[in-house]
Amino acid sequence: MRKIVSAFVWIVIAVIGAGALAAIALQRNERISATWFVVAAACFYLVAYRFYSAFLAAKLVALDDSRATPAERNDDGRDFVPTNKWVLFGHHFAAIAGPGPLVGPTLAAQFGYLPGTLWLIAGAAFAGCVQDFVILFCSIRRNGKSLGEMARDEVGKRGGFIAQLAVLAILIILLGVVALVVVNALKTSPWATFTLAMTIPIALLMGVYLRYLRPGRVLEASLIGLALVMFVVVAGQWVADSASWARLFTLSGVALSFWIIAYGFAASALPVWLLLAPRDYLSAFIKAGAIFSLAAGILIVRPEIQMPALTKFIDGSGPVFAGKIFPFCFITIACGAISGFHSLISSGTTPKMIQREGHARMIGYGAMLLESFVGVMAMVAACAMQPGVYFAINSPARVVGAAPDAAAATITGWGYPLEPQTMIRMAQMVHEQTLFNRPGGAPSLAVGMAQIFSSTIGGERLMSIWYHFAIMFEALFILTVLDAGTRVGRFMVQEMGGRVWKPFGQTGWMPSVVISSAFVVGAWGYFLYQGVIDPFGGINSLWPLFGIANQLLAAVALVVATTILLKMGRLKWIWVTLVPMVWLITVTMTASWQKIFSGNAQIGFLSGANNWAEQIAAGKIPAAKVVEIQRTIFNLRLDAMVTAALATMILVLVVEAILRWTAILTKRSPAVLHETPYVATQWVAGAEGD
Amino acid sequence: MSVWREFVDVARMFWQWLRIWCGDAAYERYQCAMERKRASARLSAKEFYLQQLDRRYSRPNRCC
Repeated sequence: MRKIVSAFVWIVIAVIGAGALAAIALQRNERISATWFVVAAACFYLVAYRFYSAFLAAKLVALDDSRATPAERNDDGRDFVPTNKWVLFGHHFAAIAGPGPLVGPTLAAQFGYLPGTLWLIAGAAFAGCVQDFVILFCSIRRNGKSLGEMARDEVGKRGGFIAQLAVLAILIILLGVVALVVVNALKTSPWATFTLAMTIPIALLMGVYLRYLRPGRVLEASLIGLALVMFVVVAGQWVADSASWARLFTLSGVALSFWIIAYGFAASALPVWLLLAPRDYLSAFIKAGAIFSLAAGILIVRPEIQMPALTKFIDGSGPVFAGKIFPFCFITIACGAISGFHSLISSGTTPKMIQREGHARMIGYGAMLLESFVGVMAMVAACAMQPGVYFAINSPARVVGAAPDAAAATITGWGYPLEPQTMIRMAQMVHEQTLFNRPGGAPSLAVGMAQIFSSTIGGERLMSIWYHFAIMFEALFILTVLDAGTRVGRFMVQEMGGRVWKPFGQTGWMPSVVISSAFVVGAWGYFLYQGVIDPFGGINSLWPLFGIANQLLAAVALVVATTILLKMGRLKWIWVTLVPMVWLITVTMTASWQKIFSGNAQIGFLSGANNWAEQIAAGKIPAAKVVEIQRTIFNLRLDAMVTAALATMILVLVVEAILRWTAILTKRSPAVLHETPYVATQWVAGAEGD
Repeated sequence: MSVWREFVDVARMFWQWLRIWCGDAAYERYQCAMERKRASARLSAKEFYLQQLDRRYSRPNRCC
């Protein structure tokens, strides 16, 4: 009887989900409520979790609860700490959820709501969650080893080195791009700049409190920090209203980029307790609060989606970024559906804290489903605003025109009506000088979030506070990614340098700290600077580069996962990781090829550079601008080289893996697994520690 | 009365989880682990906090 009821319930959930998906996909002429998005996503996730993840857990990897996990075997109260599965779920989710699932879907909304939403939902269930779950499982079985170590052990030495190099490369590109998102959100905005600047002294205060006054009392320090952050969000308005203070905090993109580069260097070189860790605590609480508030706001307000299902820009002529749906929608969405970076978290802290192998299903697969849901909410927030407003915020001035009238006329000409007055009024409502030409995704997401929040609490009166809260929330946790990433990059450079000259590998040796920090900051700072001075706003060229790097890292993770599954004798189920791996390699290689060689100057780096060079040769560029354009030409060629280097690295790894697979399948090489030996758990089921 | 008790139990559990999630209870958990192992050499709260941060921020712990 229970089985029949259960089957009936799951059939109902599946039918409701299919109905909601059909409503989203087939609606053309009428506006659709955001509720359909929430229902479709929730039902799809429930079914995927209940059935697909259960299949993965039982058949693909055969999770074994009788086996002691690294946390049980090595319990030291520091790295290896058995942790309650719900707490670890929250921990893992806080670690994997970054700016990607918010910014990516916001940018991909230029194709309309449909392609991005479908990829967010299906991509997560069949690729992203699979990657996170399988890599988590592999790391648990290898005492919490990192992706690089597993690649070296299971694929080969070269595989391990390539994985490590790929991680450093993606880290540098990622940091440059997310820093650019912050710069575009803060430039010429004294309120936002003041608020974010003030989070630095707040973090320093928290650092001193946690270090000297109440060691390790994170909750107390975070509460103090949160209260102060809320105060500076409100106080930002007073700064913006004061002529002298506003002048001090009104910074150009270039000035902001130098401040952020200096901040990144300081955060990497200073003791971690002083700035980096307290910011991270603050950011984690604000991130969790803002994401849940956005979900609640969408459910309460149930905004209507104003963006069409498909826009005219599916042909590749988009103003936000150029390129057709395939492959650029997938490259742009990135983290909301599958993120290579997650494999570093799944093979880092989490496997050392898991109590039971069986928990890997909820933590690895379930947390990624939740991240995908964050991506769907970002898509809803972007698509709930008028399409004209969306394109006005996200299009660079060179595409739509710098003057409000010209920009509004261009966007109206595309079929998305926009009055200049609408943008002026909206800028006044959020207390900004202008909302035109603010590419990067963060300002448009903040407008979308502010509209949803103000419809729930405060109305238009609080719109400016909500907008600046949203900007602070995005910028705060992007900066947390920036400083934590710079520090990790520094350690990686020190480790690599230490192989050449031993003293350089000592992480506490000051000359090594300064040189490696300067190297990492200089590398991502260069990408940031090139984005800031880019005539098309930088996001157009750099976000796809980030997406390619991120998705290539996911391909690396899936290559490692496929190799391990093959060695485990799971040939029958190998398609589970093989299909997403082939898909990702196809998408990233196509995108890489198009970004390097496309004849369309808006898409191809090389043709873009040649186009500028021809304009200089023809005397079409004013003399005063020639040096700037020559720098742009150099940057475009550099981007082409970076893309080619990333693609080559992955191709080498794939070839190496295929050779290894062939050797195993033809029995020329033994399938040696590097798992830790089986140790039976000493814990009684359901009675583990925390 | 029992409903109130249940509510208090749930709130207490949530509070415990929150403390573990954010790291507030990390030192207590370390002490428990040392107790279980009957280890004599133990770090002070300050030493533990600093060492824990250094380890945590030397590997990828925040994603994009």
